[in-house]
Amino acid sequence: MMHLLLKFAAVCRSGNLRVSTSEVIDAMTHLQWIDFSDEAGFKAALKANFAKSRRDQGNFDRLYHLFFHEMQTSIACDPKGGQNDELRQIIATLRENEDLHEPVDQALIDFLQGDPAAFLQEMYNLENREEYRSPALKSNLGQLSGRLAVMLRINALKGAIGQASTGSGADPAGGPTAERLLGRLDRAYKMLTEDNRPNNDALKKVRSNETHFKDIGERSFAALSPAEILQMQEIIKKLVRKLRDRMGRRYAAGSRRYLDVKKTLRHSGRFQGIPIEIKYRQRPLKKAKIVALCDVSGSVWSAARFMLNMLYSMQDCFSAVHSFAFISATTDITEIFEKHEADRAVEKILSSRKIEFGALTDYGEVFQQFRRNHMHLVNKRTTVIIVGDGRSNYHNPREEILADIREKCRRIIWLNPEPEDFWHTGDSEINTYKAYCHELRPCRNLNQLVDFVEDLVL
Amino acid sequence: MEFESIEDVMKRLEKAGYIASREIATVVFLAAAGNKPILVEGPAGSGKTELARALSTCMNRHKIRLQCYEGLDEAKALYEWEYAKQLLYTQMIKEKINDLISGADTIADAVERIADQEDAFFSERFLLARPLLQAISADDPTVLLIDEIDKADPEFEAFLLELLSEFQVSIPELGIRKAKHIPMVVLTSNNYRDMSDALKRRCLHLYIDYPEPALEAKIIRLKLPGIEKRLADKMIAVINRIRELDLKKRPCISETIDWAQALAVLRIDEITREAMSDTINVICKYRSDADMVKASMDRILN
Ligand SMILES: Nc1ncnc2c1ncn2[C@@H]1O[C@H](COP(=O)(O)OP(=O)(O)OP(=O)(O)O)[C@@H](O)[C@H]1O
Ligand SMILES: [Mg+2]
Repeated sequence: MMHLLLKFAAVCRSGNLRVSTSEVIDAMTHLQWIDFSDEAGFKAALKANFAKSRRDQGNFDRLYHLFFHEMQTSIACDPKGGQNDELRQIIATLRENEDLHEPVDQALIDFLQGDPAAFLQEMYNLENREEYRSPALKSNLGQLSGRLAVMLRINALKGAIGQASTGSGADPAGGPTAERLLGRLDRAYKMLTEDNRPNNDALKKVRSNETHFKDIGERSFAALSPAEILQMQEIIKKLVRKLRDRMGRRYAAGSRRYLDVKKTLRHSGRFQGIPIEIKYRQRPLKKAKIVALCDVSGSVWSAARFMLNMLYSMQDCFSAVHSFAFISATTDITEIFEKHEADRAVEKILSSRKIEFGALTDYGEVFQQFRRNHMHLVNKRTTVIIVGDGRSNYHNPREEILADIREKCRRIIWLNPEPEDFWHTGDSEINTYKAYCHELRPCRNLNQLVDFVEDLVL
Repeated sequence: MEFESIEDVMKRLEKAGYIASREIATVVFLAAAGNKPILVEGPAGSGKTELARALSTCMNRHKIRLQCYEGLDEAKALYEWEYAKQLLYTQMIKEKINDLISGADTIADAVERIADQEDAFFSERFLLARPLLQAISADDPTVLLIDEIDKADPEFEAFLLELLSEFQVSIPELGIRKAKHIPMVVLTSNNYRDMSDALKRRCLHLYIDYPEPALEAKIIRLKLPGIEKRLADKMIAVINRIRELDLKKRPCISETIDWAQALAVLRIDEITREAMSDTINVICKYRSDADMVKASMDRILN
């Protein structure tokens, strides 16, 4: 049992589950109390130890099935019973084959023998490898071509199995053993094309919203006339004042009742040492840090500008606000917003030569740059806000970077300024990205924006 | 061992008013046998908090609850010195203090003499035990519910970690307090944010989803023994179809129970369109949700 469990733990690790030694030991202990004829109990015990969040459960189920069902169905045994010499022979021939000496080949042969760990690891590396490519040559072919290469290896291996089994003489068409091996390779092939995103059913989806303002509150940002934009800015100013008031009251309520002994004793001097006046400590509430990533291409920009406008008018409600504009590259706009009033800042950004307004939006590249240059801004107090439609011109979405950001931050909130009916059409990657967000909400008009900001600060 | 078997867990939980799936019972069994905390996740209202309550009932233990929120700190979770009381006492025994320092030659000497008495002021008498300390110092084993840990700050989570691995706390003035009994710990999370790996490592994980129809029917019959089986089954089919809709707040078990009660009071024993629109407000808390249900009534009822 120990051996099997260790092997399964290795498979889980290669399959991107974090399983520590202490968890393996715990599982081992727990299995002593489980009746093995009760598979549900057996699985539940492993699951409780190896998949420690809902997000990991889908992946766990997949690996569990692969390891305990698909891999344990005994390819090694002849249907007539008895050990299968043919299998051993074929595997031995494959291992010696000069043409099959790449790591992927060996991983695949392991897979044939019932140990998927190395193959899972290859797949993991494929998905997570850094791409170094010239900016001129943008494509998402990196992962695809990597996968293609593995597929070719699978085909080569299939050929080799055919040869090895006919070579062994028993059956010119390749016996049942060869057939089962080929079947197993088909399984490996299928795994390459399987979608394996975390289960994100805890995602907070905000749909309906309050009507804070009639008419102008319902109009899409992108459709506002210059006069209405001015009007909007007035409304936002008032709104921010009101929100601040409400926040102030909450803070007052939150920071009461902490006796300050030193202060109390100091004041008691005036009353012959009797602490008549009790003094309380003001304990400031810890404030959140904000990092905002704003798509400034096309129509998306109008949503981003109002969002930034509101965030910066409330800057003192957060311990820090960092903001970045992006199209195909990130540009730090924190300073512009800190130094200038919102309108001025917006103008400056729109005329900024640092931003390549003609470029094609590339979220993957943007995430990559953000991770490389600005990841130090993100910690467990940081809320990352992304404003964008997720339309990435079919470039590689690099979702694993967003996953990485999620690990380091407190929350990721995605604001999508597109009408919801279009979210999952064409080159929109919002479906891909939402697996890594804590919250996803439409943000096309003032009502939705106000809802969001209220939620954020109150 | 606390429980004899997984079946024993199911039986005793049911007696305490909680219908557990086999998976829930398995994890509870393992946690109790191995003294491990359980980290429970699941949608709102799927019975996370209720599980802790039922556990305390069926294990015949006190339940101690710590509700987490942003800004929760050790003073609210572990212990606090009752400064006001300490001050009051200093005033009341002022005379005694004067006696104490009356013969002192220097200020240093006086301070020294007072310091000798310090223990009296930092003793149990002035210590206000909060839930975590209560659970650790209880004379009998307890069930400790740490509710909505995802709402607490990461700093608090780190502090909790230490407690969950050692089951002891150090109070500088009093020394180390070690738990007399390791409490059965249940942590719940609604996934507002992700828990740290370190915390997860110390816990067994359990996801409580909306129950299978058969289990939910059992829950309904437990709460409303009089309900007709046919009606209960139909209700649950309808509720599950409503859960598939993209609602702001999906109906949870307590809504099913409330709905069953409402139907009973109104003496409705057939779920028709009319019955639905009369009682929809029990199922949906938001206007927009109720409207969405009404719009998809045909699909929901058939
Ligand atoms: N398995 C069950 N058996 C009996 N009753 C249940 C069960 N699950 C849930 N309930 C009922 O559902 C109600 C709601 O459950 P509970 O408050 O525990 O949900 P929760 O998961 O803690 O929700 P939240 O995430 O909102 O805190 C309980 O009061 C209880 O009556
Ligand atoms: Mg609860």
